[in-house]
Amino acid sequence: MNKIKILVLLSLLVIAFLLDVALGSVHIPVKEVIKVLFTPDSVNESWIYIVEKIRLPKALTAIIVGCGLSVSGLQMQTLFRNPLAGPSVLGITAGASLGVALVMLSAGSIASLYTIKELGISGSWLIIIASSLGAALIMVIIVSISSSLKDNVIVLIVGVMIGNITLSIISIWQYFSSPELIKDYLMWTFGSLGGVTGNQLLILATVVFAGLVISFLSSKLLDALLLGDNYARSMGLTVQRARLLIVLSTSVLAGGITAFCGPIGFIGIAVPHLARALFNTSNHRILIPACCLVGTVLMLICDIVAQLPGSQTVLPINVITALVGSPVVIWIIAGPTKLRGF
Amino acid sequence: MMIKLNYSPLAGLFWCVLVFLLLTSSCKQAPAGKKNTSAKTGSAEIKYAKGFTIDYYDSYKLISIYSGIGTQRDTAQYVLLPAGAKAPEGYQKAQLIRIPVKKLVAMASTHVAQADFAGVASKIVGLGSFKYITSPVVRKNIAAGKVKDVGVDGTMNDEVLISMRPGLVIVMGNPDASLSKYETLSTAGVPVMLNSEWLETTPLGRAEWVKVMAALTNTEKLVNAKFDVIEKEYKRLAEIGRSAKSKPSIISGMPFKGIWNVPDGDSYMAEFFRDAGVSYKWINVKGKGSLPLNFETVAPEALKADFWLNPGYVDSKNDIQALDGRYADFKPFKSGNIFNFNKKVNDLGSNDYWESGAVNPQLILGDLIKILHPELLPDHQLVYYKQLN
Amino acid sequence: MAVKQPLLHTTGLTIGYRSGKNPAKVIAGPLNLDLYAGQLICLLGPNGCGKSTLLRTVSGLQQAVGGSIELEGKNLAKLKPAGIARLISLVLTDNVRSGNLDVYSLISLGRYPYSGWLGILSQQDKEAIDRAITATDTAAFLGRKLDSLSDGECQKVMLARAMAQDTPLIILDEPTAHLDLPSRIQLMRLLHQLAKDTNKAILISTHELDLALQVADQIWLMSSGGNLAAGLPEELVLNGSFQQAFDKDGIDFDINTGTFHIHTSGRKSISVAGDGPAAFWTRKALTRIGYALSPGEDTEEQVLVTEIEGVASWTYKKGDLTLSFDQLKELLTVL
Repeated sequence: MNKIKILVLLSLLVIAFLLDVALGSVHIPVKEVIKVLFTPDSVNESWIYIVEKIRLPKALTAIIVGCGLSVSGLQMQTLFRNPLAGPSVLGITAGASLGVALVMLSAGSIASLYTIKELGISGSWLIIIASSLGAALIMVIIVSISSSLKDNVIVLIVGVMIGNITLSIISIWQYFSSPELIKDYLMWTFGSLGGVTGNQLLILATVVFAGLVISFLSSKLLDALLLGDNYARSMGLTVQRARLLIVLSTSVLAGGITAFCGPIGFIGIAVPHLARALFNTSNHRILIPACCLVGTVLMLICDIVAQLPGSQTVLPINVITALVGSPVVIWIIAGPTKLRGF
Repeated sequence: MMIKLNYSPLAGLFWCVLVFLLLTSSCKQAPAGKKNTSAKTGSAEIKYAKGFTIDYYDSYKLISIYSGIGTQRDTAQYVLLPAGAKAPEGYQKAQLIRIPVKKLVAMASTHVAQADFAGVASKIVGLGSFKYITSPVVRKNIAAGKVKDVGVDGTMNDEVLISMRPGLVIVMGNPDASLSKYETLSTAGVPVMLNSEWLETTPLGRAEWVKVMAALTNTEKLVNAKFDVIEKEYKRLAEIGRSAKSKPSIISGMPFKGIWNVPDGDSYMAEFFRDAGVSYKWINVKGKGSLPLNFETVAPEALKADFWLNPGYVDSKNDIQALDGRYADFKPFKSGNIFNFNKKVNDLGSNDYWESGAVNPQLILGDLIKILHPELLPDHQLVYYKQLN
Repeated sequence: MAVKQPLLHTTGLTIGYRSGKNPAKVIAGPLNLDLYAGQLICLLGPNGCGKSTLLRTVSGLQQAVGGSIELEGKNLAKLKPAGIARLISLVLTDNVRSGNLDVYSLISLGRYPYSGWLGILSQQDKEAIDRAITATDTAAFLGRKLDSLSDGECQKVMLARAMAQDTPLIILDEPTAHLDLPSRIQLMRLLHQLAKDTNKAILISTHELDLALQVADQIWLMSSGGNLAAGLPEELVLNGSFQQAFDKDGIDFDINTGTFHIHTSGRKSISVAGDGPAAFWTRKALTRIGYALSPGEDTEEQVLVTEIEGVASWTYKKGDLTLSFDQLKELLTVL
C-alpha cells in the first residue's frame, strides 16, 4: 500500500517539476522545454537561458526548500510534542531573519551590503552562519522554556511572542537604516525562490543535504522522544545530547534556507501532518523521506502558482504558502481528532 | 449632518439653518487667491514642470505646489512675503515664508543643487545628512562649522531646527506626507515647504523647480536666464538624439530577488530615453513610473540588448557578476557596454548625479547620446556616466 | 542454600530535591534496600511520602541526594543511560496517548537499547516483542492507535513495551490508578504471574493495599516521616509496621481481618456464634450498625447463625426473649 503511495508521489513530483520548469511569464512550449533539458542546441537562445538559468535553479531551490523546511518542522513537532510547532510559528525563522539582518543592516550603508555579495562564496557562508546561529539561539531559548513548562499550548504562545520580540528588534534596526537597505530587507522578507543561483545554490544544497542526513540518522532518537523525556531516558537516550542534535540539524535546515530564500512559512507545520496522515505512521525512518516527498511536491506547486503563469510578474512565495498552508493548519486543529496527535 | 435633539421641530430648523450658514461661509473661502486685497501682477512662466505654479501679486508671491495626479491633486500654498510686510487676507491654510530666505535648511540633494544653481548655497545652514553632499560651497561651510546636521527626514531634531530659526526648511514630499507632520515646526515659527520635483516625468520639468528657489531668494532674473540656456541646450541635444538613424536597444536597472523593476513609459528616465534615441521595450507602457517584472520577462531583452544602463549600486563588471553569475550572459556584459551614472562620486561617497544632475538635464542627455551614438557628439566628455569595466 | 545476589541494593540512600545552590531537601532516608529477581515488590505509603521520588531515583531519572544504588553490583551513578536501559524499564503515569502511535510501534520502542541505529528491528527484536505481546495478552490491539484504547488496555500495552525492553527489573509508578476494579485485579495478577514466570523483579508503587497484601512478595512500606519498613507483607502486618505507617492519619488497621476499620468501636456488645459466610457477614452487618463483637458468650444479646444446605437462619436471644428469622434484614430491624 505504501509502495503505491510512494509511486504516486514520485510521479506527482516529476510532473510538478516539469510544470514548474515549463510555466512562467514567458510562454515557452513544453516541447521546447523538454528539448532544452535534453538536446539544448536546437532551441532559441533566450529560451535556453530562461529554462536553464532561471527556471531550473528555481525548481531545484523549491525542491531543497520543500525537503528542508518540512523535515525541520517534523523534528520540531516531535521535540516539542506539539502539532503546531514549526520553524515560522515558533520564531525560528524570525531568529534566522535576525541573523541575516545583522549582516545586511550592520554597517548601515549600501556599500556593506554589496561588499558582502562581492565576497561571493565567503559572503554567502557568512550569511548562512549568521542565519543558522540566529535560528539556533531562538531554538535554544524555546527548548529551555519548554522543558520547564508542561503545557504545550503555553510553549506555542511563548514561541510566537519570542518571534514577535525578534521581529521588533529587527524593526528598530530598520528604523535607523537607510531606505534602500530597508527596501532590500523588506523584499527579502517576502521570500523568494528565484534569487539563489550558481555558487549559492551549491552551498544551500550542501547545507540542506547535511541537515537532512543528520535528521535521518536521528530517526531512532526522534522515535524515542515521542514518548516524552522520561521514557526516552529510560530507554537509554541521553536526552540533552539528543535535544542538542535536533536543535543543530533543525537550525541548520531552517537557518540555511531562510538565509537565501527569506522566511518561508507554513510548509514546516503543514507537511509533517500530511505525511503522517498519508503514511499512517509515527516512525521517523519513514516520515522523514515522506516529508521530503510531500514537501517537495507542495513547494513546487506553490511555486507554479506564485508564477501566475503568463503574467508579467510573480507573487511572493510566502503569500502562496500561507494560502495553501493555513487550511491545512485549520484542518489539523479543527478537523478529525485522530490527526491532532500530541 | 443634523444632530438629533429632543427639542421641537422649530429648534431643529434653527440648527439646520445655522449649520447651513457655517458650511456656506467656509465654502466661500475655498477658492484660493481670489479673495484678497492685493492685485495679481502675473505668473512665472513654467513650461515643463507640472507640480507647481508661482503667482505674483503686488505685495507677495504665491507658490502653489501640487502633489498627486489628476483628481487626487492636493494643493499646498505658500505665501512669500518680504520681512515686515503684513500677511494678505484669505490664506489661512497657506504657509507664510519671509523672503528672501536668509537661512535655509535643505533635506535633499536636489534642494542643495537648486540653491547652488541660484547662487545661494551659502545660505544653507542645515542639512539632513553630511554624507550626501557635493557642492563645494556647502562643504566649505560644513568644515567651518556653519552648517548643522538636523537628522534625516522622519527623525529630524525639532529642537535643533527651532533653535536655529531658519527662514525655511525644504523637505522632499512623499505620497503620505502632509504638512501636518511638521506642525511642531510651523507652530514654532519655522516654515516648512514640501517639494515634489521627484514627481515630474520630464527632465526639464524636474530641473525647472529651480524657479521655486528663485522665488524664495529673489533671484528670478539670474535663474531664469540660466534655465533658458539649459533649456536651449537640452532641446538641441534632444533633436540630435531623436533624429539619430540607429536606435540601439537598451535595458535599464538591476533585478533583485527575481524581480526586475524597469522604468515604464511614464517615467522620467523614459523621457531621457526618448530624447536620446533608443529602442526600449517598455517605452510606451503607461504606469506609475516602474514595472515590477519577473526576471525571466526581462532576461530575453537583456540577452540581446546593445547597452545596459543604470545597473544600480555597482562599480565594475566584477561587482555585477558577483551579484549573480547569470548576468555575465547578457550581450552588453559581454561587449562591455555597461554604463552607470556613478562617475561623479566624491570622497564622501556622495554621487553628484543626484545633486547637480537634477538641475543639469542637458549634461545627462549629452552623456546618454555620447554613449549611445558616440559619432553624433564627438567632443562631449562624459560627466555623470561612466563605462563599467 | 545459595545466597541470592540482590538485583538492586541501596546503601544509606537519601532521596529528595536539589534546587540550585540551596541545600538539598531530603524527603526520605537513609534507606538500605534489597530487591531480588522473581519477586513482586509493592511500595506503599500515604500520598506525598516520596514514593514517586524513590522510584525515580532508583531508576536513574533523578539524582540521589546521598548514599549509593547498585544494580547487579554496578554503581548506578556511574552507568550511562544506555547501560541503565538494559537493566531497568519503566511504566510511568506520563501521558503518551498523543503522537499518533499505534500499539505495535509503541511496544517495539521497548527494543530501543538493542535495535540498530536507525531503529530497524532484528529477528531477535521481533521475537522479544512477540513474547511481550503474548505475556500481556495485547495481541488483539496491535493495529489500533493508542488513543482508541481504554485505560486498562493502555496500561497493558505500556507494560508490554517495558517487557519488550527485556530488563531484569521493571518499575511501575501507580499502574492501577484510573483503572476500574476488574482491570486493577487483572493487572496485579498479571504482574505477580510475570515475576514468577520470567524471573524478573517487578517493583510497583500503589495505593491498592488489599491487592498488594495478596500478591506482593515483598512490601516496602513508606511513612510520611521518611522511614521505610521492608519485608514480607505478613510480617509487616504482624510486627505492627502497618499500623504504625497509617496510625498518624488516625486509621485503624485490623490485623485479624487484614482490613482497615471504617467504623469506630460499637457501644453495645453482642456475641455471634456460627461459621460460614452467613455468620461472617452477619458479624459485619452488626459492626456496621454499631455493635462491638464479643468473642465470648457472656453478652446480653446473642445471635446464633445456622446454615443448612445453603439456607441460613438466625436466632436472637436477649435474656428470656428468643426470636427466629429467615432473613438478616428482619434481624436487623429488631435490633
